[in-house]
Amino acid sequence: MDRRALLASMLAIRAFEDALAAHSDAGFQLYSSGEEAVAVGVCEALRPVDQLLSSGRSIGPALARGLDPGVVMAELLGRADGPCKGKGGRGHLAQPGAGFFGAHAVVGGNLTIAAGVALAMRMQRAGGIVACIFGDGACGSGALHETMNIAALWKLPLLLVCDDNGWSISTPREAALAARSPADLAAPFGIRAASVDGMDVLAVRDAAAALVAHVRGGAGPAFLVCDAERFSSHSTATRELRSPAAMDAVRARCPIQRLLRTLRDAGALDDAAFAAMERDAGEAAARALAFAERSPPTGVDEIGRDVD
Amino acid sequence: MSTEGAGKVFFAEAIARALRESMERDPRVVILGQDVGRFGGAYREFAGLHARFGDERVRDMPVAEASMVGVGVGAAAAGLRPLVSITYMDFVTLGLDPLVNYGAKLRYKTGGQLAAPVVVKTTAGAKGQGVAHSQSLEAWLVGVAGLKVVAPSTPSDAYGLMLAALAEDGPVVYVDHKRLFPTAGELAHAPAPVPIGRALVRRSGGDVTIATHSYMCRVADAAADRLSAEGIDCEIVDLRTLWPLDVATVAASVARTGALLTLEEGQLACGIGAEVAFRVREEVGRMRVSRLGAARAPVSGNPRLEAATLPRADDVVAAVRRLIDAKANEP
Repeated sequence: MDRRALLASMLAIRAFEDALAAHSDAGFQLYSSGEEAVAVGVCEALRPVDQLLSSGRSIGPALARGLDPGVVMAELLGRADGPCKGKGGRGHLAQPGAGFFGAHAVVGGNLTIAAGVALAMRMQRAGGIVACIFGDGACGSGALHETMNIAALWKLPLLLVCDDNGWSISTPREAALAARSPADLAAPFGIRAASVDGMDVLAVRDAAAALVAHVRGGAGPAFLVCDAERFSSHSTATRELRSPAAMDAVRARCPIQRLLRTLRDAGALDDAAFAAMERDAGEAAARALAFAERSPPTGVDEIGRDVD
Repeated sequence: MSTEGAGKVFFAEAIARALRESMERDPRVVILGQDVGRFGGAYREFAGLHARFGDERVRDMPVAEASMVGVGVGAAAAGLRPLVSITYMDFVTLGLDPLVNYGAKLRYKTGGQLAAPVVVKTTAGAKGQGVAHSQSLEAWLVGVAGLKVVAPSTPSDAYGLMLAALAEDGPVVYVDHKRLFPTAGELAHAPAPVPIGRALVRRSGGDVTIATHSYMCRVADAAADRLSAEGIDCEIVDLRTLWPLDVATVAASVARTGALLTLEEGQLACGIGAEVAFRVREEVGRMRVSRLGAARAPVSGNPRLEAATLPRADDVVAAVRRLIDAKANEP
């Protein structure tokens, strides 16, 4: 994917979330805005045969993985045409057939699962690797340490991606993790790690590609830490405690504006072309929303289906 | 299913045989857990499997139950059929997140795209090992939509329920018991899977129905022998599966006897007995009913305290007599 395509991918996520947030029935959401470069850069390093797992902050990862925005929007709005028939929602969005094994809304809860998926894929000679995106809030959980231990012992084809937005809802990482950086956690297990500016999609892409090559080559797991920013509060149900000045500083790191500057400075994109890209992203989001609104609400008879 | 000779086998042998046959038939079946490899399991229930199937399919894991269950559930979601061995049921608490929050919900939350065909095998019950190695927590798991729970009481059912559990397309918790491992029983010449969701009348009698499971079937049987000598005939229904519960079999028995005693080794509060009694009452209407379970106390490793905490045959005899007396006192 060239740099313009990476920009388009980030714009698509931003526009999708803006359209969802403006919807009268948006429901309970955790937005990825600000963290688009992490999902887009990591997915750029993956192949169709690979599987991606994410935390409950799933919209960016799912769209970056290439899921159809219309069916994703349908899932988020509780419609029958969502890949999970509207039963999983954002917290449990999944479409394994498209390489998105799924979100799981328990902090740290998808990590041991990802190790199991990696084990199964290797035993079945599926040829792919597994990437799991989780927040820095999961770094204090035993699940991460158990997962790193077993993944390193068994040399599992697993890329762990810490989307480090610095906050566990209201608790700053400095108050939640004794290690200086999440990347330091990998060292005792002999896991190769890298830290990048998570607002620089090109840096994320390059670091992810190097670690994916390591994992794909059979050398065992790898750990990528992306220093990112959350542009809104933890969720639509959560208060924002950061000051307006702090939020200005956060937004100044915008990954979309950053790549735009790079491309503009290189003479690869002018303002008119960028405006056209923004317009395209907005129209795609509007189409996704229209598709979701046409989709029937999930029927309550679904509570009796696929239970056991 | 099996081509080996009929005859008596110990409980652990029945489990190992079911696993070996399942693994020979289905390359997706793997074993994960603590001490499952060369050691062969805490009760030798995995004996010979590592030698037969190797490191790849019989995997010792660190003593970290959250990852044991999580890796098993994740591998199941991605196409394997793992059995995860959690040595004692007390330690299932450490693996509840992936089991309860992921595995039990996976088929539902993905709209049928994924499922988690995993068996979590664990050993419940008290045998002198103390407050954190003795619990029978199966009632907790019955409260989770998406989980099935089985608890065999004989080697034949240990074999048949293991085959059935490994063939299920969703998570099954397979609960055996420390005091059942020394027991032996007949295994048919061609033993078959035991369907999940079917109770079995172990002993016929017309006076009182005792609904129970796992090792408590043997306690009930000892009590029934003594009561028989006084002319009281107990019917013992071995639940075998705790979810989905075979209410019909218990209700049919209670319809004949008019009296139900539930017996379990776990706590009475929100227990298996409470569930069985209420649902049987819905089916049969009027009945005499009583429950027996552990005292509201941790299960100490001190043998005197342990014995005093758990239901004994004496308690069963007394409870059955009270149910008989209640009939005599009915208007």
